[in-house]
Amino acid sequence: MTSAPGGASLPPALSAEEAAALAKAHGLEALGGRPPFGTYVRTLWRRRSFLWTLSSADAAEKNSEDRLGVIWTLLNPLLLVVSYFLIFGLLLDTKRGVQNFIGFLSIGVVVFGFSSAAITKGTKAIVGNLGLVRALRFPRALLPLSVTLSEAIRTLPAMAVLLVLMLVTHEPVGLKWLLLPVAFALQIAMMAGLVLMGARLLNISRDIGNLIPVAIRLLRYLSGVFFSIDHYARHHPTWREILNLQPFALPNTLVRQSLMTEFPIVWQFWGVGALWAVGLFAGGLWLFWRDEAKYGRA
Amino acid sequence: MAAPEPPETAPASAAAGERRPSVIVSGVDITYRVQGAKKSPAPSPEDDDESLFRGLFRRGRDLATMQTVEAVKHVSFVAYHGESIGIIGRNGSGKSTLLRAIAGLIPPTNGQIWISGEPSLLGVNAVLMSKLTGERNIYVGGQALGLTRAQVRARFEDIVEFSGIGEAVHRPMRTYSSGQAARLRFAISTAAAPDILMIDEALATGDADFKERSAARVAEIREQASTVFLVSHSNATVRDLCDRALWMEKGTLLADGPAEEVVAAYEATLPKKKPPAKPKTPPAPKDT
Repeated sequence: MTSAPGGASLPPALSAEEAAALAKAHGLEALGGRPPFGTYVRTLWRRRSFLWTLSSADAAEKNSEDRLGVIWTLLNPLLLVVSYFLIFGLLLDTKRGVQNFIGFLSIGVVVFGFSSAAITKGTKAIVGNLGLVRALRFPRALLPLSVTLSEAIRTLPAMAVLLVLMLVTHEPVGLKWLLLPVAFALQIAMMAGLVLMGARLLNISRDIGNLIPVAIRLLRYLSGVFFSIDHYARHHPTWREILNLQPFALPNTLVRQSLMTEFPIVWQFWGVGALWAVGLFAGGLWLFWRDEAKYGRA
Repeated sequence: MAAPEPPETAPASAAAGERRPSVIVSGVDITYRVQGAKKSPAPSPEDDDESLFRGLFRRGRDLATMQTVEAVKHVSFVAYHGESIGIIGRNGSGKSTLLRAIAGLIPPTNGQIWISGEPSLLGVNAVLMSKLTGERNIYVGGQALGLTRAQVRARFEDIVEFSGIGEAVHRPMRTYSSGQAARLRFAISTAAAPDILMIDEALATGDADFKERSAARVAEIREQASTVFLVSHSNATVRDLCDRALWMEKGTLLADGPAEEVVAAYEATLPKKKPPAKPKTPPAPKDT
């Protein structure tokens, strides 16, 4: 028995084996480990309404900063389309190979805009929310997922702007417009997977956070946002395929195929998109879960 | 108020039937990694531009160094259902870190923690979303503690009433006073009727009326055979609300026993402000 000053005392501690036996006798759960992957996924599913609460709270938090609030989610993509049109449409003239360049460009801006926002903000979901992580216990994957979802919610007004722009640029309304939600859903799944991987990486080393804006910038130029990959890479078929099918360019193509007549639907692209969506989402969740016990430390 | 508990821990093999353990902490170490924090050498006497320049480079090198801080060192104890345990000690003695480890928020570096049920930690620093209204925070907090949306909705009025913030619940939380925010957090985390309630300094912020109500709420939760942990710098609060106390000093557990006894021993080591009622030993020097 160790004696402390003032007559207070410290009772003898149980040995590790005794403690384990006592825990087992009373059915106590060991803390700090990560649950098996299957249990983890089921817990996530059970807490999906919390995911929704977090996402809408997150979206509301972002909009509450500006006086015009939600109007900026409409204005921003419009302003971006106008400035890209001035630079790439008029000054640099990258519209070769495209008839409806405004439609083409605005889809690129809005669709890639979601990818960019989701990656930029979602990868910080753990390291930027340490307060929440250290205060409350919940499956940590909810945080990156909720940021991705809230960015998707914030993209919806811009999607509406897209539809209006399609009408303005004389794209006929057709049944294939119904594919737009499918394309968006595939994109959300792809980005959620990448965000989960990025959030874990950033938790391991925050320095990586400095590279993300550079990577996003590079991807913006490689993903056919304001030029047609098919046209500009037409002499390099291998590169054309790689650039077209990577997860940041593919959603642009899928949305263009759903909304614009000059891009007929090519089902192979949708197949690849589905593969990316399932692969990245499942892989991202699994990779994120591997570190579940380490989020929130240091 | 403090019902004295037998100070000795129940032997592992003969775990008494009426005393069911709720938390078992065995040999827990918690080590933080701190980047670039290194004790800087004493300033040189010639504190001129040149040394400033050299210091700049030295700081560059320091960035690459990693330091480990042992916040909690080899702590073991067993807590039982229906107990109310105060954790006392000086600033930086590892109280809050230990509490967070029990809440499952900081994984221990070594050792093992077992718990029964779901812990709920309520800290003054528990950052909910400060830009959002209290209302949204009630939903976020309540659901994080495992309630469903419907359950939060059902208890919403109770939470608002207990916190006593009234109409302010519709204002962003950043506009709250620290007392209002702490009261709302307390109301949220006790609404879930947790198996293990952990309170980190929150009760110090309320007014007398709120203190009374929260003491009643804590007693209520204990009666539901839960365990309450309370980290506090207010020795009076620990005496009033706890029957057992853990005294942490520089990351190690120094004493574990009836609250009255441990708090008295702890107070005896504090620099003398006003003489305690009946000091058992003359005040020891600051470093024990």
